[in-house]
Amino acid sequence: MIIRLKSFLPVLWLAVGTLATSVTAADTAQRFDTANKLYEERKFPEAAAAYEAMLTSGTTSPAVYFNLGNARFKSGEIGRAIVAYRQAAQLTPRDPDIKANVQFARNQVQGPTLRPSRLQRAFGLLSLNEWTGLTAGALWLTFLMLAVMQLRPVLRASLRNVTLIAGGVTLFLGVCLLATVQLNTGRDLAVVTARDVLIRNGPLDESQTSFTANDGAELRVLDRKDDWLQVTDGTRRVGWLKRSEVGTL
Amino acid sequence: MRLDHGLMLMEGQKQQLNCSSRTRRNLVLRLAALAVVILLALPSSAAKFTTSLDRDRILLGETVTLTLSIEGATPTSMPQLPAIPGLQVAGGMTYGTSSSIGADGKAHTVTTFSVPLAATQTGEFQIPGFQLELAGQKLSSAPLRLTVLAEDASGPPAEFGQRAAFLWLVLPKKEFYIGETFVPELRLYVRPGVRNIGGFEPPTLQGEGLTASRWVSGGNYSRRVGDRQFTVVPMTCAATAVKTGPLKTGNLTASVVLNPPDVFERMWGRRADTEQVPLTLPPQDFRVLPLPANNVPPNFTGAVGNYTLNVAAGPTNVATGDPITIKVQISGRGTLSALTLPPNEWDGFKSYPPTAKTETTDALGIQGTKTFEQVVSAESVSIKEIPPLAFSFFDPEAKQYQTLIQPAFPLTVRPGGATVVPVIAANTTNPDAPQPPAQDIVHIKPRPGTLAQVSPPLIQQPWFIAAQTVPLLAWLVALAYRKRADSLAANPRLHRQRQVAQIIRAGLRELQRHADANDSDAFFATLVRLLQEQLGERLDCPASAITEAVIDEKLRPRGLAESSCAELHHLFQTCNLARYAPIKSSQQLAALVPRFETVVRELQNLKA
Repeated sequence: MIIRLKSFLPVLWLAVGTLATSVTAADTAQRFDTANKLYEERKFPEAAAAYEAMLTSGTTSPAVYFNLGNARFKSGEIGRAIVAYRQAAQLTPRDPDIKANVQFARNQVQGPTLRPSRLQRAFGLLSLNEWTGLTAGALWLTFLMLAVMQLRPVLRASLRNVTLIAGGVTLFLGVCLLATVQLNTGRDLAVVTARDVLIRNGPLDESQTSFTANDGAELRVLDRKDDWLQVTDGTRRVGWLKRSEVGTL
Repeated sequence: MRLDHGLMLMEGQKQQLNCSSRTRRNLVLRLAALAVVILLALPSSAAKFTTSLDRDRILLGETVTLTLSIEGATPTSMPQLPAIPGLQVAGGMTYGTSSSIGADGKAHTVTTFSVPLAATQTGEFQIPGFQLELAGQKLSSAPLRLTVLAEDASGPPAEFGQRAAFLWLVLPKKEFYIGETFVPELRLYVRPGVRNIGGFEPPTLQGEGLTASRWVSGGNYSRRVGDRQFTVVPMTCAATAVKTGPLKTGNLTASVVLNPPDVFERMWGRRADTEQVPLTLPPQDFRVLPLPANNVPPNFTGAVGNYTLNVAAGPTNVATGDPITIKVQISGRGTLSALTLPPNEWDGFKSYPPTAKTETTDALGIQGTKTFEQVVSAESVSIKEIPPLAFSFFDPEAKQYQTLIQPAFPLTVRPGGATVVPVIAANTTNPDAPQPPAQDIVHIKPRPGTLAQVSPPLIQQPWFIAAQTVPLLAWLVALAYRKRADSLAANPRLHRQRQVAQIIRAGLRELQRHADANDSDAFFATLVRLLQEQLGERLDCPASAITEAVIDEKLRPRGLAESSCAELHHLFQTCNLARYAPIKSSQQLAALVPRFETVVRELQNLKA
């Protein structure tokens, strides 16, 4: 009897796991619909909080970030909306709705702000995971062909050119991946999430004001110290602001 | 004095000005040439026409450069240059074009015409706006102001004339209003005889309660300090006071190298007249006043400067729900980026978030136009007008609040349900036509899509990075295999040694199987074969040539242990005996296997 039960254990685990997954998915869909309902009732801050709760629980999808961005935007929080849109864009960079809304939100931003360069736009056509997958695929192909060439010397001549091309593609994709990591991961990007933030000359409350950034302004982070970030607006203006006044991706 | 009556050609800044008919003819010829060049040189595209002065404050006898900038246009008539009373042309006209690719991906060509002007008297001059017909529409530029002074009251004292170089900061006045944007001028004075300068980084203008943009260089000019004529390198920036009270600018420190050596001079050592001059400028006091608390307009949102308001709305005959675009243009001088759309109550309308675009016409970005586009839609047919719009600002020159009011636009609203939406032919025939600007964000998504756990990207996950070593390892293994195969191919003895070792391993299993099956014939046949293979490999001769005699002839001289030789003899003899008297016992056969194994190990350790 015990042996028979033991043989059923894997099946039991699988069934429990499947059931738990389907229950979680149904629960998440329910929470998503609830948040959408709040949005349609024009309770935008409540809707934003509901979307945030979904993300905090560890569940994510581009649609959650997108709707969160909309709720933030309608709540008048342009900076937080841009952060959410950009997080959605990191997952699905070619979604036209996300592109349209992030552009619309950016158009509302007044004062100094960074605009994505052509290079950033080009590398942003694929998500970081897509660039990573492509590079890994090319890497595997290259080394496997090299291995085949070692194991089957008769194929060397016919595989040489293909392997060279695969190696070149791997190198190119690797460079693109590095550039994407540098330019588009948002590690060095901060979005102002408060109104009329004073950018100071030093990381102190007593430091003099260098310039003012408005809600939604995108700034490049140059340095970090304690609770302060050194930022620039893309021109030669550089200053410090508190981490609590910006959102990061 | 009118420009077309009093202009004359100046040979240089020191030459005195006078009027004559000859110079008037010169002026007319120059203006005609300017017009012809404009007519011939400009490409046809969107028209934009601006004028600017490189300085707005000069001393009597100095020149100022008037620049006409035309962006992508084909004029159809000669520009009518207005009269400029009290000013004369003081040199030749210069012409240039520059092209750039804008953010929209289109090429933008700007053509500039520069004319040096000199004043014949002191005072405040108003250069009227220029009229130009471009691309079928008449464009005009904004008027410009020029102040001509008899002497530079804000200039450095005469004793500074003994210095080789120094900095001088000129604030346009000593009292500002909070939020007022003004233009400080930082001047680098360089003594006569300096051919060129280097190593100069303009210090950032700082100060408590003061924000400033970066410095923008202007055209150099000459100015007398004491008894010497200095070259002045001017720089201006846009500064805004953000705190009230008595304030100071920060210390400005920098350095400049006079007559820096060029590449060749660096190779042979520094020039004798190269000189590094430290530059320091003490703080300057100024006062920032709060905005008056009296008579503050109700819709004042903090704009400080001098502005004009232009509002357009359309269409004004719509169905309910149709979008109406209200275009609000605020033009003038001030902190344009901080301007916000005048607040308005849109009762009876559905309003969408407005968009804003700022276009500046000067290098400092404080003069230009900010355009807001607000889209609204009427929700009821009872609405008869677009409500009036008011914009208030504080004018620091007039020291009072100003309110600009746009009257209401009459509006006709039809019921929207029965209206057939017209098909726009352009959308069907030209799919590449630019889409109209979005009026609101795209609505939320109804479905959550593919859900996933929040996780770092693949490139940050250790398992993924570890997985990328698999193809590398596969290649390394294949490479090692290939090297080993090549190595064996090049060394037949080693190859045979490995082959025999493999045969022995397989043979031992076979022996055990024959012993278990009590198959004596097969067992001894295998044993003999294995002995021949192993001995043949050690003695580098064919296996078939191996007999018991090789033990004493070849193995013993090579140093094989006596016990091993005896064991070999025993095995050979047992095999011979078995041909005639087969062993029946399985245990007896199995007992030979370990003895064979021991002998083989001894042989394998024997030097080949």
